[in-house]
Amino acid sequence: MADHSGTVTRRTAMKAGLATALAAAPLARPAIAASKKVVRVLVVADPFYYALREVTGQFEAETGITVELENLAYDALQARLVSSSIARKPDADVVTVDQMWTGQYLDSNWIMPLDAMMKGDKDLDLADFIPEVLYSLNTWRGHFATLPIASYGQGVMYRKDAFAAQKLTMPDPASFTWDAYLDLIKKLDGATVGGKKLFGTVVAGSQPQPIVHMYTQLAASMGVHWFKEFPEGKWDFTPTINTPENVAALTMYEQLYKLSPPEAINFNWFEAGMRFAHGDIGMFYWWTPYFYLTQRDGYMTGKPSPVGDQIGFATLPHDPKHPQVISAGGWSLGIPSYAPNQDNAWQFIKWATSAKGQKAMALVDKFGHQFSDFGRASLYDDADLQKLYPYLPLQLALLKQSNGKIVRPPAPVYTTLEGIYGLNLNRVLAGNSSPSVALSATSDLFDNVLKGNYLLPYQLPSYDDTLDATKKLIASMA
Amino acid sequence: MAAVAYADGARTTPPSREKRRRQRLPLILIAPSIILLTALVAFPLVFSLRNSFCFWNLQMSPKPLGFIGLGNYRAAIEQSDFVEALRHTLTIAVVGTAIEVALGLAIAHLLAVRLVGMNFCRALLIMPTTIAPIVTGFLFRYMYDAQGGLIPWLIRTAHLPLPAQGLLGNEHTALWAVLAADIWQWTPFCAIVLFAGLLSVPDEIVEAARIDGAGGWTILRRITIPMIRKPMAFVAALRLMQIFNLFDLVLVLTRGGPGSASRTLSYNLYQQGLVDFNIGLSSASTWLIVIIVNVLIALFAVFAFKDIV
Amino acid sequence: MSRGIVLKLWLYAALLLLMVVFIGPILWFFLLAIRPPETAFQMPPVLFFRPEWNAFYETFVNPGTNARQLFNSLIVAGGAVLLNLPFSIPAAYAISRFTFRGRKNLMLWYLGLLMAPPVAFLIPYFLVATAVGLTGTYLAMVLVLQTIMVPFSVWLLKSFFDDIPADLEASAALDGARLHEIWWHITLPLATPGLIVTAMFAFVFAWNNAAFPLVLSDQDTATLPIGTLGYFGSAGITWNNIGAAAVAAMLPPMLIFLVMGRYVVRGLTFGSIKG
Repeated sequence: MADHSGTVTRRTAMKAGLATALAAAPLARPAIAASKKVVRVLVVADPFYYALREVTGQFEAETGITVELENLAYDALQARLVSSSIARKPDADVVTVDQMWTGQYLDSNWIMPLDAMMKGDKDLDLADFIPEVLYSLNTWRGHFATLPIASYGQGVMYRKDAFAAQKLTMPDPASFTWDAYLDLIKKLDGATVGGKKLFGTVVAGSQPQPIVHMYTQLAASMGVHWFKEFPEGKWDFTPTINTPENVAALTMYEQLYKLSPPEAINFNWFEAGMRFAHGDIGMFYWWTPYFYLTQRDGYMTGKPSPVGDQIGFATLPHDPKHPQVISAGGWSLGIPSYAPNQDNAWQFIKWATSAKGQKAMALVDKFGHQFSDFGRASLYDDADLQKLYPYLPLQLALLKQSNGKIVRPPAPVYTTLEGIYGLNLNRVLAGNSSPSVALSATSDLFDNVLKGNYLLPYQLPSYDDTLDATKKLIASMA
Repeated sequence: MAAVAYADGARTTPPSREKRRRQRLPLILIAPSIILLTALVAFPLVFSLRNSFCFWNLQMSPKPLGFIGLGNYRAAIEQSDFVEALRHTLTIAVVGTAIEVALGLAIAHLLAVRLVGMNFCRALLIMPTTIAPIVTGFLFRYMYDAQGGLIPWLIRTAHLPLPAQGLLGNEHTALWAVLAADIWQWTPFCAIVLFAGLLSVPDEIVEAARIDGAGGWTILRRITIPMIRKPMAFVAALRLMQIFNLFDLVLVLTRGGPGSASRTLSYNLYQQGLVDFNIGLSSASTWLIVIIVNVLIALFAVFAFKDIV
Repeated sequence: MSRGIVLKLWLYAALLLLMVVFIGPILWFFLLAIRPPETAFQMPPVLFFRPEWNAFYETFVNPGTNARQLFNSLIVAGGAVLLNLPFSIPAAYAISRFTFRGRKNLMLWYLGLLMAPPVAFLIPYFLVATAVGLTGTYLAMVLVLQTIMVPFSVWLLKSFFDDIPADLEASAALDGARLHEIWWHITLPLATPGLIVTAMFAFVFAWNNAAFPLVLSDQDTATLPIGTLGYFGSAGITWNNIGAAAVAAMLPPMLIFLVMGRYVVRGLTFGSIKG
């Protein structure tokens, strides 16, 4: 498994670094051995990191390039990336870029477009990537900014034993509407299964990101768009937040919270997901990594969840009045424009996002198998992987319906808007605001922010950002 | 070093020159620290002042995009729950400081009692203060966990009321739960400093007062507190300022929620500067805070530090 | 039972409560690092289990991300203290010994610096550090830490110097000692406990600071508080790794305070000489 020579070199390098630091003035920056081929990789601490760190030895053995891998929390990563980018002194050759940051980073020339490197590369096999994923996560204004290392959709997880106990059946996808979803949850709420009294569902209530991630899925599925026209057509960022569709969606989210554990108001991603794994939740929808994360009792502990074998997976409910839109998220790898080892960086990105690299990550069995967030369609048909991750066909179907640019639009001031949105959504759950009041306040604040940032009216050139445009871009790379 | 340079000539020079040097000496001793601090602080302040009048959002552009007058100040006050955050910040700063100093004083009296093992306990007591606030945040997040946390379990076991949303999820308890972590971390520090102060109160005076029939409360108010007012004022000022700037605990524990029930000025500033990267807006907020801080210091100067500094 | 014994028992009970409240949580965190992960959130608490040292192995040996960060923290905090004292000691001494115009305002000025929000300074600092090519260096962190350390140290040290009787220095001067001799042979030895305490608290302030390294450090120079943040992922918290890294983050300041504990009391009790 772990490549020994690789480990030793890394450790030796570190010792050398320490020795240099000690020998030189103690305040000086430690020197790196220059002669070796190195790629420094800075990633967010999502599940893929735990798989990736176990397989970098394979990459090192194949290429002779030493990987220096560092992981950071979301906020710390963003602070580091922005600061090092402004400084034009990147402290890594490969960085994970959230899809929300892609446009900003590429427009500011903080990361380089990958087009040129991709074009000349025969072993890339770009056609194998799921186009919806590349569209949602990786392209900006007709360029490839990044490639996906972990691709998430959203789907439903439910307790089969609870359904059986309440004599419920999962409807077929065509009749699985949000109303049916809410109805099932109401029937699950309060049931006693395996000696535990169930809550119907669990929501993520913590602001700003977790509640926005979960709520916008529901809202988009019920026909809510953030802006009048984006990402397709001629961009117009007039907020379309205060609409009947959004009020209906938020009213439903409020109901879902009432059927959740009350402390869910402060739950972030994993607290919501792990609560389900602990066995007192009937059904919920969440990012697809929780398909495997909920099989465990805790995060990266390797202990099976007490209800792991009772977890069923289903497609996301839809709203008959609107076309289904599924959230796409995840993490992608990009190269900072001023990275010192750009060739090594490309080698690494290519390897880590390749079918081979992704499969190696999926096969890591350190805490149980904890990675199935493939960006490559071929892996979803892989028999070995289907045995380990039986829900793969469903996950692929979810990703094929995804549009990350609608659910959480990568507008230039997205994080600011997300902060406002998250706060006001959270206020509704806290009971100090009604859906219509909260959304009207959100809409006004959006308006202020967008006008204050000269995005309303939008004066820069638009880019008609469609899935077809991405497909054409993919074809042009061949 | 400046002191040495002065001292070498001290005896041989005529008195008038010595007097001049004697006047210059404090300046020479103080100047390095002033120069260092000014260099470190002046730039950020000038930078913030200039940019507080500019539109500059790093998400939009790597450079300032033009002068917008007081727009950022208006936005800072209107947009980000400024008044609410200010109220929370002042509340926890005042209440937290009062609790930490009062509790610290009580503990200091206990530490002054001669008991077996007291020396060891005194050495241990400072431990919470030596932990990074971020780590304290993790510790309390772990202990506050609504389902499997130690603190809710203790509260439930004692049959005391517990909000359904958990201590961090209820809008009436969230801010206080955050403050409790700070109180846990810093009360020992206050206690140790005040204990050190207590040791300087001569036993004879206390005994004499007791013989004269003074009760414990009178002794505390009339003798102890006046005699240790220096360390008390120092500790109170330090804590007031540090709680005023509290943001790491908010970040790890509640992110300002539920709603905006636990937002503080520093957390808003963090959000504007390091999440939204709106340099103009965060610069305006910085200056609003600088102005508030100066008012607070002026108040301190008038009341608490009248005869101390 | 006599009243004295009852009182003693109450006092012991109070002391015990004090220890449970303030030291208990730390032990609880230590247990988190070594307990089987599935018992972390079990209530009533699981107190008996086979300790697992796996989390320490992961954080400090293989992959051992935090080992380097521990080392960085030591350099940054140590460097910051070394830089701090030469600036603070003369200033505190001068303010304590000499009367001059603006003395009070100066003390308030230092105080005001303590009150400036560190978060507000992060972006400007980082832009300057960039301009002079210091981002990602220890020196940048050591320097900016002075904005909070020097004011704190000056305030603390001044109170120590206040408590050293000026008469001692004056009588030595009458005996013909030069100022630097007086300083080295009288003031400094008397002030040593105060200096040690100041250095200890300054070390703790620097050690615990997470804001500055957030933007000023890089992969090579990140400090341990930043490292603990890494386990706070969006998909999950590896609680026992946080526990392990946190325990390691607590240990150096704790060791210093346990070993040098007597100075804390001695250093802060200079007033008793006067009494």
